[in-house]
Amino acid sequence: MMVQTPILALFMADLLSLLLLIPAGLFALQVLRHWDPSSGHARQLRLEKRTHLVAAVLGLVFVVQLLALPLFVHTVDRMALQIVGAMCAVGTLNANPWGLPTLLLRIGLFFLAAAWLLMHRIDKRAPDYPLIRAKYGLILVILPLATLTAGIQLAFFLQIDPDVITSCCGSLFSQGSESVAAHMAGLPALPTMIALYGTLGLALAAAAVYLRWRRGLLLFGILATLSFPVAIAAIVAFLSLYVYEHPLHHCPFCLLQPEYGRIGYALYLPLFGAAALGLGLALTQAFAQRESLRGVLATTAPPLVITAAAGLALFAALAAWISWQSNLILLGY
Amino acid sequence: MNARVELRGVRKAFHEDRPNVFWAVDGIDLVLPAGGVTVLAGPSGSGKTTLLTLIGCLARPTEGRVRLDGRDISGLPEPFLAALRRQTFGFVFQRFNLIRGLTVLDNVMLPAYPLGPPHRALTRRANAALERLGIGHRAGALVESLSGGEAQRTAIARALINDPAVLIADEPTANLDTALSLAFLDIVSDLRAEGRTLLLSSHDPLVREASVVDRAVELRDGRVVADHETRAEPAG
Repeated sequence: MMVQTPILALFMADLLSLLLLIPAGLFALQVLRHWDPSSGHARQLRLEKRTHLVAAVLGLVFVVQLLALPLFVHTVDRMALQIVGAMCAVGTLNANPWGLPTLLLRIGLFFLAAAWLLMHRIDKRAPDYPLIRAKYGLILVILPLATLTAGIQLAFFLQIDPDVITSCCGSLFSQGSESVAAHMAGLPALPTMIALYGTLGLALAAAAVYLRWRRGLLLFGILATLSFPVAIAAIVAFLSLYVYEHPLHHCPFCLLQPEYGRIGYALYLPLFGAAALGLGLALTQAFAQRESLRGVLATTAPPLVITAAAGLALFAALAAWISWQSNLILLGY
Repeated sequence: MNARVELRGVRKAFHEDRPNVFWAVDGIDLVLPAGGVTVLAGPSGSGKTTLLTLIGCLARPTEGRVRLDGRDISGLPEPFLAALRRQTFGFVFQRFNLIRGLTVLDNVMLPAYPLGPPHRALTRRANAALERLGIGHRAGALVESLSGGEAQRTAIARALINDPAVLIADEPTANLDTALSLAFLDIVSDLRAEGRTLLLSSHDPLVREASVVDRAVELRDGRVVADHETRAEPAG
């Protein structure tokens, strides 16, 4: 194992999160079983009082989880310098079988944590706890995912051997490989472009419809969420090629390197932000049964929709600019 | 202005889940109709003050519900509860709880600051409340220089600064002589005439038997032992 400060920070973040999430999970079970706002039973009043404390603690846990994803990516990217054969984060993630699963779990945890925080923020604005069951139901999804992430990440870092030669991103995203990444790399450019701009266009149209007529929030949330996997596929399939101006270099991590102007940050920040907001809004709207929540959404959702739509629009504009200014010719050649 | 308060199965424990648990309020069902004066009577330790704090949203019950105009208020999240408390309830505490080092006017204006009214309008309102209670001339005085009666009037003015529908006073005459107690009851009569709901706790017979009182609820060991409708003067 390589002992480094960021790795220890990630361990501590997961340990702290689990220490707080496990009792929160037990509390979530009580809420799901016994929550009854019409009751004046002592148990119901205890749940009402404790939910504020538990929610404050969970807020801390999820902010830590939001930060853990960029820290993890940054850490594995920096570790590439110390691992034989690795040229970027992909090389480190390929050093053993736990690397990519850890990344995928971290991404999943990031989105669920962001969605929970958004739901909680909206729930706090209503006087009658309209999202309480949805929020604590989500905790029961997040808890096993966080446990799995912590375990697999531990296995990943423990089993890294800097002397074992790993393969670089060129091998993972090689179109001859059988991995999911390789399949994404092999996607044809034009249909992927159509899928990307089509999805982003539909999401922006749904945002416009919502902002104009206050209808279709769920649809916007779903489309914004769906934009994330489509955009990642597009980055791997063609956008990265335009950035590197190389027809076989599909790596989505090298975009973070200084030699490419760290353009990846400009692409990923609005994309992750927009998709996280979209997921949170979709989940909130899906559970918006109560009148009080609809009232809160009427005031809180529009600025969130505008922010998410701006993120998607920024991503679309950057993607178009990258394709336009690149010297690589992918289409019509 | 009117506010109907309803308590259903309300209990309040101190030192809950410990061997020395004490049930200060032990299963109270009570409806306080909008408007009128209700006195909670009973000996020390009967639960009067605790009940007032539960009704006024200063504390939450351990069991049961408190409703205001049919809406459950005992389960509200804290920000909503604080807003409701500020706008609906005014408190006159037994020891008045005026803040030493501040003037009478500053003490009266203080509960309105979180609502953010224009300062000039608030000052005007506070001065008007003090004038109405006959202590306008003491507005600039520090509260530690006030007599008992003046301190109580300041506390009443402070309780009324946000124009609450319900005024709660805990043992309001405990520190007053007979003349000042009667003056206090005159103020109560005026507030009742405005349609406010007044809730007083007292074991002072002068208050309990006053003609302005509509109802006397007697407590003992945290329970209602008697509930008398009294002959009150017609409001207004």
